[in-house]
Amino acid sequence: MNFVDLTITWLTDPAHWQGSGGIPARLVEHIALSLAALAIAAVIALPAGLMVGHTRRGAGPAVGLATVGRAIPSFALMGLILPFTQAVDPALGFTVYPTLFAMAALAIPPILVNTLTGITEVDADLVEAARGMGFTQGQLLRRIEIPLALPVILGGVRSATVQVVATTTLGAILAYGGLGRFIVDGIAQRDNGQLFGGVVLVALLALVAEGSLALVQRLIARRRGVRPSPRPMAEPGEAGRGGAEAFA
Amino acid sequence: MRIFRGLALGASMLALISACSAGGGAANNPTVKIGSDGFYEAKVMAEIYGQALEANGYKVDRTGIGIGARKVSAPALESGQFDLKPEYIGSGLAFYTPGKQTGDPKNNQTQLQAVLKPKGITVLDYSPAADQNAFVVRKATADQYKLVKMSDLTPVAAQLKFGVATDCPTNPVCGAALKTAYGIDVTNATKLAACDTPMAQALLGKTIDVGELCSTQPDIAVNGWVVLQDDKQTQPADNLAPLVRDDLLAKLADKAAFQKILNDVSAKMDTATLTDLNKQIAVDKKDIAAVATAWLKTNGFVK
Repeated sequence: MNFVDLTITWLTDPAHWQGSGGIPARLVEHIALSLAALAIAAVIALPAGLMVGHTRRGAGPAVGLATVGRAIPSFALMGLILPFTQAVDPALGFTVYPTLFAMAALAIPPILVNTLTGITEVDADLVEAARGMGFTQGQLLRRIEIPLALPVILGGVRSATVQVVATTTLGAILAYGGLGRFIVDGIAQRDNGQLFGGVVLVALLALVAEGSLALVQRLIARRRGVRPSPRPMAEPGEAGRGGAEAFA
Repeated sequence: MRIFRGLALGASMLALISACSAGGGAANNPTVKIGSDGFYEAKVMAEIYGQALEANGYKVDRTGIGIGARKVSAPALESGQFDLKPEYIGSGLAFYTPGKQTGDPKNNQTQLQAVLKPKGITVLDYSPAADQNAFVVRKATADQYKLVKMSDLTPVAAQLKFGVATDCPTNPVCGAALKTAYGIDVTNATKLAACDTPMAQALLGKTIDVGELCSTQPDIAVNGWVVLQDDKQTQPADNLAPLVRDDLLAKLADKAAFQKILNDVSAKMDTATLTDLNKQIAVDKKDIAAVATAWLKTNGFVK
């Protein structure tokens, strides 16, 4: 049997679609860990990127740090983290946290770099004009910089998501579940159907994540096209402050 | 003990004398090319056999030592890239005829010999030393639940966390054997690579309570862990035995003396000693050749 047949046979076997080791359960585990890692990364990288981009201070070190972060292999990071997390929690500290934190670390650089790049690249004249109209720093960030940088920021989230979804497979080496289980077990059990099936599922999930985020990105861009960007400033209750009505 | 040593010494002396009496025989012998798998235990065994032969006047070529896993080393031996290789008879048999391996070393050796005979390879005597999958617990766990043998696990299995090799669920001598022989279900056990560091780390850090390790993994000795006796004999007997090419044996001046050297060495090695040698290499970072020499000296094979 060639590998296409093997893969199809494995994927279409109803036995592989049920129970705690079935495809749906592994898919949920995979998505859960990926989302948790992305959330941790976003909580760290978004504010940091916004601050650095807005103040234009520390951009060099931030990009440098992100580059170093990208250069560290995730699996090495998992090995480094493991003894510490295992000491705190013998169960989850072995099977979940090393993968979770390594995946968060993997997602931080693209989100951080794209966020600060997006903010930095907002038209300086626009920022100057808003400042001249009396925008506070917070308003400037919320109403000018973030909306204009949003497609670039989302691009960072998008590439981080694809990387994390594909790399979470490593968790199976340290006994986590997820779709990597099929790959690791497939190799160990010399079960090529399971191995290729796992690969196909991971690739599909990464493509779906990539596709849906690309769609979100496009929708935002289109919305921006219909409504000129200064428009949102003239919100009820805000008019008259900072002379925003001049734009309305 | 002393008698044993004397016997071994006498045996090797005898081998030396008989080798010499064959008209300077050893000198006329072809060079013995030795090969092995890549991990340190296989390499130290190859080195031990090699040095024992050298002590008896044979010339040894070590190029093939550590050449790679069985997928590489087995064809290399079959094609004559080297003449001698230490083999694990249970896994070696499973490599050629999967599922035929048993818990009886004699049986495994006989079957392996039958498979290798047409390939022109002889299986010499197997050693008491074996490296097989072993279920290991921390000393504290063993004391707490009074665990000595695998059957002791049965009543307390639900209270313990198991770590098994990734191939365990589909491996007849692992998942199925645990279930039928000991009534232990490892479906939801933590799954990690076989005989590797993460499993030892998981056991050390209490992620799991019972771990499937290799019986000679140095972590067991280093941490004072307890290997549970496989009282229902579910694991295949993976005793070590040298495999030798028949065309080399045919060219030797004294085939019997050559085989005796190797058989005497195998007879003297045991699992505890092998575990200790592994520890000296992996933990104490000693040189493999030096570890081999020290062991051969202690046992009177080398002066």
